[in-house]
Amino acid sequence: MTLSYVPDDTLAHRLDPRSKLLFQVGFAAAAYAYTTPRGLVVLTAVAAAVLGLAGGGPRSLWSYRFALPFLLVAPLVAGATLGDPWFRTDRAFETSLASYRVLLVLAVAAAYVRSTPVRDSRAAIQRTVPGRAGVVLGVGVALVFRFLPLLTHDLRTTREAIAARGGDRLPVHVRMRLVATAGINRAFERADRLGVALSARCFAWNPTLPPLAFGRLDGVVLAVSVGLLVVAVV
Amino acid sequence: MILKWVYRGAVVMETRTEAVDLVGDDAAINLARAALFAALVGAFAYVSFPFPFSPAPVTLQVLGVFLAGILLGPVWGGVALSFYLVAGALGAPVFSGGSAGLGTLLAEPTLGYLWSYPIAAALVGGIVHRGTTLRNPREIGVATLVGAMVAGTVVIYTFGVIGMAVVLSLTLPEAFLQGAVVFLPAEAAKIVAAIGILRSDAIAAA
Repeated sequence: MTLSYVPDDTLAHRLDPRSKLLFQVGFAAAAYAYTTPRGLVVLTAVAAAVLGLAGGGPRSLWSYRFALPFLLVAPLVAGATLGDPWFRTDRAFETSLASYRVLLVLAVAAAYVRSTPVRDSRAAIQRTVPGRAGVVLGVGVALVFRFLPLLTHDLRTTREAIAARGGDRLPVHVRMRLVATAGINRAFERADRLGVALSARCFAWNPTLPPLAFGRLDGVVLAVSVGLLVVAVV
Repeated sequence: MILKWVYRGAVVMETRTEAVDLVGDDAAINLARAALFAALVGAFAYVSFPFPFSPAPVTLQVLGVFLAGILLGPVWGGVALSFYLVAGALGAPVFSGGSAGLGTLLAEPTLGYLWSYPIAAALVGGIVHRGTTLRNPREIGVATLVGAMVAGTVVIYTFGVIGMAVVLSLTLPEAFLQGAVVFLPAEAAKIVAAIGILRSDAIAAA
């Protein structure tokens, strides 16, 4: 199951994307500053509450499963030493706390992804990053969201075609070359058609964005975020 | 300028007419190419190759970083990978295993690798094109291409190993052991694949 936006009317869905982004930074800073058993207990409660308020649950963390091997192996690598005592539990414990911290920050990030539509995220970028840099970034990000499924499909059909022709027996670097070449050609074809289409449709530096507004709830979230940042730094 | 349409004393409609500031054709094509390349690097996250001695499957993302620098140049190559990072942070499933979210860039063990991508793409592009004016990739010597990609690999793994050490409270040798040693042979295969792509006539639009 891929983590993605789910339409809903939860508390998190009603917040401005900018306050949610700042909250994630504040939470991560606090998590780095308080990687102690007691600190992590408090932060676990906060992360669980945030994910719950966005309508998510433990299942939302499933898309981060590829980080798990790193998180599980790290304490073993940290604890292992050459020579007596061969395994240092204090180092392994320290790294276990750090591994656990990662899960908490990812849970809060999952809450954002679940509760924020792409066009709101894009509007947040263009209202935060000034001038043309913000416009370029906003358009680019929106196009990545739009074209990712198409290019993923292009690559999948290419791999199937290679496999159907017995390409599985080719060396790895040859298979990499074939897949990448097809992917790049498809991407450039699509890009050139898109560029022409954009120009033809008066692609402008000043497009109309959906309105964003800070509400009273955003004030609370912003205050908490700044509070977390201050607590982390002091 | 705001035009107000009044009927019997009441405003019935308001229209806004602002000057439309058009984006030039070249900028539109470059922007489209950078965005599509960013999406391609994201799509590469879903293409994995089992590789001898590697505990995790190897994806083509780093190959995408090299080719972004070589085919788009240092400026738009760097922009493309910045699109990739921001889109991923805002929820596009482009990070390893189809994950997404700002948390990946703030706390995930592999965050250093991700942050290095725009810098590595710009560096590879800068070395290959010797500046910001693009040269035809077919006229560039193999030694330059290999040198640029090796430099890019060094940047990616330096950021990656330091990031992993910080995130997981490991020492640098421990982080190197866990996050780099087993993956380096696969990078050599990607460099060979990149040379193959650039030396053949397979890329139509380069």
